[in-house]
Amino acid sequence: MSDQILTSLGKPLRIAVVGHTNTGKTSLLRTLTRDRRFGDVSFRPGTTRHVEAARLLVRGRVVLELYDTPGVEDPIALLEYLEQQAAGERLDGPARIHQFLDSPLAATRFEQEAKVLRQMLRSDAAFYVIDSRDPVLAKHRDELELLGSCGIPLLPLLNFVADAQAQEAPWREALARVGLHAIVRFDTVAPASDGERLLYEKLSTLLDEHRSTLQALIASHEEDSAGRHRAALQQIAEMLIDVAACRFPVRETSASELEKGVGALNKMIRQREQRCVDALLSLYDFDAEDIEGTELPMTDGRWEDDLFDPETLQAMGVRVGSGAAAGAAAGMGIDLAVGGVTLGAAAAIGALAGGGWQTLRHYGDRLLGRLTGERLLRVDDSIIRALGTRQLQLVQALRGRGHAALTPAAYSQGDDAALWPKTLPRPLRQARNEPRWSELNAAVDITARHDAVMTLLEELQQLSRQAD
Amino acid sequence: MTKEHNRTEKSPGLPSFSSRWLAEVVRLQEEARPSLGPGPDDAEAERHARAQTQDSEQRIVDRAYFLAERSGALQALLNWRMHARWTLLALAVLATVSGFSAALTVLGDSGRPVNVVWALGALLGLNVLMFILWFLNMLFAGRAAGGSLGRFWLWLSRRFSGSDGVYVSHAFSTLSARAGLTRWYLAAVTHGLWSLLLVAALAGLLIALALRSYSFVWETTILPAEAFVRFVQVIGWLPAQLGFAIPDAELIRRSGVAATGGAGSVTLQSETQRLAWSSWLIGTLLVYGILPRLIALLICGSVLRRALSGVRLDLQSAAYARLAARLSPNSERGGVTDPEPGSLASAKLSSATGRLGKPALLGLELGARSAWPPLVAANVRTFDSVESREQRAAARNRLREEPAARLLVACDSNLSPDRGSLHWLAELSAFAGQTRIWLLNTESTDAQRYASWQESLTDLGFARQQIMVDETAALNWLAAAGTGGADE
Repeated sequence: MSDQILTSLGKPLRIAVVGHTNTGKTSLLRTLTRDRRFGDVSFRPGTTRHVEAARLLVRGRVVLELYDTPGVEDPIALLEYLEQQAAGERLDGPARIHQFLDSPLAATRFEQEAKVLRQMLRSDAAFYVIDSRDPVLAKHRDELELLGSCGIPLLPLLNFVADAQAQEAPWREALARVGLHAIVRFDTVAPASDGERLLYEKLSTLLDEHRSTLQALIASHEEDSAGRHRAALQQIAEMLIDVAACRFPVRETSASELEKGVGALNKMIRQREQRCVDALLSLYDFDAEDIEGTELPMTDGRWEDDLFDPETLQAMGVRVGSGAAAGAAAGMGIDLAVGGVTLGAAAAIGALAGGGWQTLRHYGDRLLGRLTGERLLRVDDSIIRALGTRQLQLVQALRGRGHAALTPAAYSQGDDAALWPKTLPRPLRQARNEPRWSELNAAVDITARHDAVMTLLEELQQLSRQAD
Repeated sequence: MTKEHNRTEKSPGLPSFSSRWLAEVVRLQEEARPSLGPGPDDAEAERHARAQTQDSEQRIVDRAYFLAERSGALQALLNWRMHARWTLLALAVLATVSGFSAALTVLGDSGRPVNVVWALGALLGLNVLMFILWFLNMLFAGRAAGGSLGRFWLWLSRRFSGSDGVYVSHAFSTLSARAGLTRWYLAAVTHGLWSLLLVAALAGLLIALALRSYSFVWETTILPAEAFVRFVQVIGWLPAQLGFAIPDAELIRRSGVAATGGAGSVTLQSETQRLAWSSWLIGTLLVYGILPRLIALLICGSVLRRALSGVRLDLQSAAYARLAARLSPNSERGGVTDPEPGSLASAKLSSATGRLGKPALLGLELGARSAWPPLVAANVRTFDSVESREQRAAARNRLREEPAARLLVACDSNLSPDRGSLHWLAELSAFAGQTRIWLLNTESTDAQRYASWQESLTDLGFARQQIMVDETAALNWLAAAGTGGADE
């Protein structure tokens, strides 16, 4: 976004969010501001009784001010009163509203509606939020007449369109009859990925002179969203590389040593996964309790199903290798032999040219291991697939949820094929042989690890682009 | 207050790479102890950062500088940098000394003749081999490349930096890795050290040649003389272009010592011979040793300089994204601009007295979803579903003309109860002896909305049992009007 656009932005745009009581106005604001704690939302009618402002910024400048208003609850009586007051005089819409606001009932019986109308007169435009599950009633029509007479553009917003009981067609017709044809469909519980963009685009058709402001806002949001997604995929890529390259040495292959080693390795992997999950939740600004639920596989921000249980893997569609015996930890691969590595002169020079002294040392370590009888435990491919699958599903769930959702995320599992059913991508295959790429092992080669993570990240980005 | 004033200056004295490096150090420290939560300085650091600039990356950097000053991370970074510089200096001295002494050793004492080809190999051989290896490494290993001397220097700096420096070196590696700088600065250090070594060797060579007298031969056991002639001339071609004198073929042949043949006319080499060989030696050292290294050094140095100013924090990585969102939020709350009033008087239920007529069944805003009107007993008056102002007025008028003994108002519980409807219910109740509410469609209503109906109706003055859900019970109650039963 160029600085030119930023400096040309004028005063912030003021939008009032109005509508009948309990249509989801505060929810809408929470979604638009990505602020879970804005306002106080529940199902009790008339919950918002005040006018509260929220500001949207782009690069530190306020571009949009949104005002949450109390619900309009008595439009029929109010319209009647307005008409009685203005009887005999030829006043236009805003004039009538001003007359009403000066009258005594604006402070008593119609105090709530007076707040709404006052805010509308102070704003540049208004979002008229409609619960599309409600039938179109006479009181809604009176309400539209009231709000339409304030003299500012009205953009109707059909909320809860994803609900089974929603009836869009009667609403569209009713709105068309009062001249409102530009309508936005929205669902604050599960907003469509381009819902916000369409909202601001339609608004910019109503407010032509503020077009550049709204374009800047849209661009900023898209940048943020793309950046957030990339950061999430990078977290996953880092975790996968760490897990793939992770090694746990055991001195001998006695059963007890192996068991201890396996236990320790599994614990490391679980902790690493948890770190990734915490980072993802925090990246999308969700608390652990937002993903809570009894039927869901997560509790308190942690996955419930044990990663190393063959059933978990099967439920995720990951094929478990033949080495997974019951009792032994599923998915544990034992790197028993360092065999196949010949340190011929050609290989040595190739190693020098390719990776310098590091590679030589690496081969040296493995040879030494062969001599001392040390064995290396590492994680099976199926575990890596499972980790990748469920973390990607989590990201999808987080992306698709608005901040207003009050019910936990419904989350699909088992039906989708697991990631990479045939072979793992190249960076992961390489990572199997590069213990220095894992932060779980002792010494880390930061540069090489970073390169591997970037390559895997591109792979993940491509995957998710295909999935969208 | 002077302390306050000093703090309002921007991060002084740190160029852009180092200030971002410091930000990385602070980030690593914070990631290492996430459970401790924000420290006491954090809030002030954030305020300070927000006050300086709008740019979110600069805010992160300023915040990091603020925190690092107080936590000692800044000092640790400066110490590490100093250690690295001293290590580099030590290595440079070592390189100079070893280059100088290598030259002297290679020439040997002036008693014996200098085996000129052997001497060249000793001076240049390792250097050229390492240079070729470095070049191949650069081509094939991509970003993981870097000269081995450079790696050695880095390893030494890390060893001497102690426990404080762990985060600092980690941050340095991370930042460089992300910017792709690693191979350039490692290569720059490598070439720099090698250049020093070779220049020192050249100096040693010059001094030795100036102050001692040497004679130059070449020796062989199995190679023909022609090979040497060709070798010397081919190698000497490039220095010759730059103005160095090289020995001609005859001179070369005469300087040879072969297995067969005598000692050669070694001891009495003329001045021109010695000069020719010396200049050849110096020229080849310069052209094949120093120049490539210097050119590589210049290239790496300029790439590095350009890249350094373009180093940026990865604001899209998870850690910085969160921090940037905190420091430069995209939304903020504007607060309440029109506060809610204290409690306002609301309508209350009432009832009619006096002459009461037939019971009435009325529907409020039922829409098309509910089947209306239901089958009722003969004595019950039914009204259409009431929605608009006119319908409300008409229904009220009918009831006013003939008040009902019992009034049952059916409401759709899917809608949310609003003040307007409740107010009107209160008005209606003035024209009925007893009023009850019948909530329709309760099976499709969610629990909270149902509870809010209950609450609003009880606020109005309805008792719990006056809110009915079951159709039969409601209609029976209505039809039983006139039997004189009290309102149970």
